[in-house]
Parts: sequence; structure tokens; C-alpha cells
Amino acid sequence: SGELYCSLLNPRNVRFESINMKNVLHWSAPEGTGSGVLYRVKYSVYGVGKWIRKPECRNINRTWCDLSSETSDYEDQYYASVKAFLNGMFSDWVETTRFNPLTDTKIDPPMVSVSSTDRSLSIILTAPEKWKRSPEEESVSLLQLYPGLQYNVSVLNKKTKKRWFFSISNHTLVVPRLEPETAYCVSARIHVTTPILDSGFSKEYCIATLKDKA
Amino acid sequence: EEALLPAPQNISILSTNMKHILTWSPVIIQGETVRYSVEFQGEYERVYASESWIPISECSLITATVCNITEDISASVAYNLRVRADIGARRSEWGTLKGLFNRNTTSLTPPVMKVIADGYHLLVELEDMGPAFQFRVLCWKKGQERTMQQKVVKEVSSVVHLDTMEAGAEYCVKAQSYVEAINRNSNFSQTQCVRAQGDTSMWL
Amino acid sequence: TAGNKILHFGACRVSMSMTEIRAGFTAIKANIQARDPIRTLSILSYPHSLHKLNSSDRCCITHHLFNFYVDKVFKHCKTEDSYVNRKISSIANSFLSMKRKLGQCHEQNQCVCGQESSEKFKQILANYEGLNVTSAAMKSLGELDILLDWME
Repeated sequence: SGELYCSLLNPRNVRFESINMKNVLHWSAPEGTGSGVLYRVKYSVYGVGKWIRKPECRNINRTWCDLSSETSDYEDQYYASVKAFLNGMFSDWVETTRFNPLTDTKIDPPMVSVSSTDRSLSIILTAPEKWKRSPEEESVSLLQLYPGLQYNVSVLNKKTKKRWFFSISNHTLVVPRLEPETAYCVSARIHVTTPILDSGFSKEYCIATLKDKA
Repeated sequence: EEALLPAPQNISILSTNMKHILTWSPVIIQGETVRYSVEFQGEYERVYASESWIPISECSLITATVCNITEDISASVAYNLRVRADIGARRSEWGTLKGLFNRNTTSLTPPVMKVIADGYHLLVELEDMGPAFQFRVLCWKKGQERTMQQKVVKEVSSVVHLDTMEAGAEYCVKAQSYVEAINRNSNFSQTQCVRAQGDTSMWL
Repeated sequence: TAGNKILHFGACRVSMSMTEIRAGFTAIKANIQARDPIRTLSILSYPHSLHKLNSSDRCCITHHLFNFYVDKVFKHCKTEDSYVNRKISSIANSFLSMKRKLGQCHEQNQCVCGQESSEKFKQILANYEGLNVTSAAMKSLGELDILLDWME
């Protein structure tokens, strides 16, 4: 039919970026458009298929929308979609691929805390928490979601430049019989076998062993 | 009518440490470049998919008489392999592997291992044998086999901490490679022993 | 790294290497799921998720699902992409290997089929037969992560 409508180029690279199950929809503005573009977002549960609008992401000018709350059931999979508007013109709805919160999330490195005596290091590792709706909500450690979770710990002797690796399942590690007054740098990562998920290594935490008490 | 090309012969598989290499004898035609194509058939294809064959694109119309089929032999079932020869429009019959191949039969070698004593710390570095591998490492104080400890190590090409040693004592280590997918392990490597720093009199 | 697992299905304890199947599926997941335009229906999860099944029925439904994928699904998933076909073959042959292991347990009568699992499997077949065979097979293959997540 001769119906006239103005179409806008589509948003690009529409995808979920998920870390510790904080699931945020991201996209890039339509090519060649400057500021002033507004967006609307909707999402659907795979197998149900009813599209649901996200009111907090209606007519927004940013290029992301936090859908963590809407996609928090990791027994389901999801799609999300974005549409762009500019001066009366609008684009098509552009969809993500199917998103599986359990397998498609990335996990942060563990928190590392290190203390030392004259001849030993004590390392305590804390797995990151799963995203939660509000600070009041009870915290859930990723340890509970991924029972096969292990830690790989790297200990670098700054004097000899030698690096050792430890693989541990519990969250504490004591390295005895070290050199006094020596700087050591510790970093750690998480390794999950089911499903296969690895965090990157944390930044290094450096500490020196104390003066020899002997 | 041009003579039919002879089918490739002596088709066999060399399988070591879960790397599976198909080889065959070259088809010799004077003055011609013979090219070969390889296809595989798993038990699933044989029993459930009308005995269909699947081409290996990396080994289609190649001149070499070798094909790395590791990526495609990725289940613990019996596989069949076949090879044919081509010169331009001329094509041979398929030459087929004698008998079927199951990756459970791969030969496993002990890992190359370096044992290090760094002060009072016993460390080991293991070669990277591929993603299917992990290692069972045994370590003990020399002469006291009952103190033997076992560790499963998955890290490769990095120095892994095994134990903290008593001053001046000698510790021994041996390791075997283990493949969970086929639930088999290699023989143990040679035992290597190292001595911790300090002298034993410190303990008298 | 490899990930042989002892999976518990009721009284059945079966050692399975899931890592290779997951790696194979992850490699083609986007390609396969893109071939399934129907968002409104899930073969495995409609009307209820596998997670709603009680654990005593796990063994039987898993046994049924292995047979379902081996007998009905994989053979109708041929694509024009040689790489995808090779990965599907890898998954299919791994499923055959697992089906055999669980089958041994099933034959030793340790894999009791209750009403709930029979009902659930009937629903899965109805969902499957509600589509044309290629769409149904491709959708089922695209839902493999749902099955793997639930199994593990």
C-alpha cells in the first residue's frame, strides 16, 4: 500500500552483558545518529513468548537497560528487544539471541585478603555474590549456585620472581615456611566446572612477611 | 574410457594422548597430482542416520596423506573412516578403515614433569597435553612411602605447589596423566626426588 | 578441562563427561537457536519446567529424553553448514554413549517410571509433534542447554 512512514536505522549489537547474574541489556545507537535518539525496551521469557514492556526503559536516551530483576529465574531463558525513535521516525524492534542466565553470565574474581607473619601468608578468598534486587535482600554467594566452584591462587615472590600456583576448594590458604621480610603478591580466580565458567584473575594484593622473630 | 583411480590403501589411525591421526598410502599416478578427501561416520550415523557419512572439510581435496581427525572423534563410540582419491574429474572408490576406531584405545603416555624444590616448598610443572587431560601426582618423603599424598592437578605449564617440606629432607614425586572422558590413565612417570633447603640436624 | 561427572538420577549413578557436550553445544548454540523463530513454545519447558519434576522421576525422564534426542531429534537437524553438522554429530554420538550407560541402569530396574514423568514425557512429545519435524528437531536441539542445566 502507499502508506508513508519514516524509518530509522536499527539499534546495533543488541545483547545481554551479565556479570554475577546482573543482567544488563546493551546496544549501540543506530549508525549515523547523534544525540536525541530515544529507545524503548521489551523482553520475553522463552517458551512463553509474550513481550513485556520495561517501563523504566521507556523513551530513554542511554544505551543500556538493567533487566536483572526480570531475568533472575535461572531456570528460564529470555529474549530482549530494543526500538529507536528520533523526530517521528522509528526503527524496527531488534532482538537479542536467546539468553541463559546460568550459562551466559560472567563471574567476577574472588575478593582476596592477605595477612602475614614473619614466615607465612594467610589468604582468605570470598566468592562474589549473586546480583540482588535490593541491599536488604539476603545475599547469595555464587558458591551456592555453582557447587563445583574452585579457586586457583597465584603467589609471586617479588624477590625471586618465582610464581607458584595453588588449586583449592575451600576459601582459605596458609603458605608456611616463607622468607622473612620478603614481598609476595597474591591473586586468585574462580574456576567452575559445571557449567564451564572461569573468572579472570583478581588484581594482585602485595604484602611483605615480617622481620624474622627467631 | 579412462582407468578408474585405485582407492587409497593401508588406511590406519595413529592415536596417542587423545590425538587421532588418519594416514594412508599415496595413490601414485605418474605426472599427476592426486588429491584426497576424508569422511567419518560415528555409531550414531551408522545406527540412527541411515549410515550417513560426514565430510571433514579440513581434509577435502588435500594432497597430504595425513588427516588430523581429533576434533571429530569426540565421543566414546566406534567410528568408521574412509578416504578417496581425485585427479580432476577422475575419482576413486572409497577406501575404508579396516575395523572401527574407538578413542578408548588411544595410547596414553606419562606426562613430562619437572620437580622443583624452592626453599621448603615442593613444586611441580607439568606439560600441556591438551584439554582432555588432568594429572594424578603422588608425592612422599623419601623412604617413608606411607606419607604418600595424592593431588589431582589440572593446571599445566605453570609451577604448582604440592607440599611444604621439612628442612633438609628429600621428597619424591611421580605423576600419571588421566583422561576423564575415557576414564583411563597412563603409566606413572619416572620418579624425581629433590631436597629441601636447610640441614636435617635442625630437627635433632 | 575435562569434566566427567557422577550424575545421580534417583538410584542410578552414571559417570558422564558433560564437558564435551557442553563445549559442542556452546559452539553452535547461536547458530541453532537462530534457526528457531518460534518464541512462544518450548518443547522441554512447556507448560512446566523440568525443574518442577520431583527427583524420584529424574532417572526415568532422563532415560526417555536420551531416547527422544537419539531417535527423533538429531537426524532431522542436518544443516548446510559442515561445521555445524560435525558438532551435531559429536553431540549425537556423545548422547548415544550416555544413553547406553543410563540404559544399563534402566534395565536393572533402578529407573522407575512414575506417573509424573510419563505425563511430562507425553507433553514433550505433544509439543514436538505440534510442529513440522524440522522445526521441532531444530527447536529441541536449541533447548539442549535447558536439558544439560537440569541434568547437572
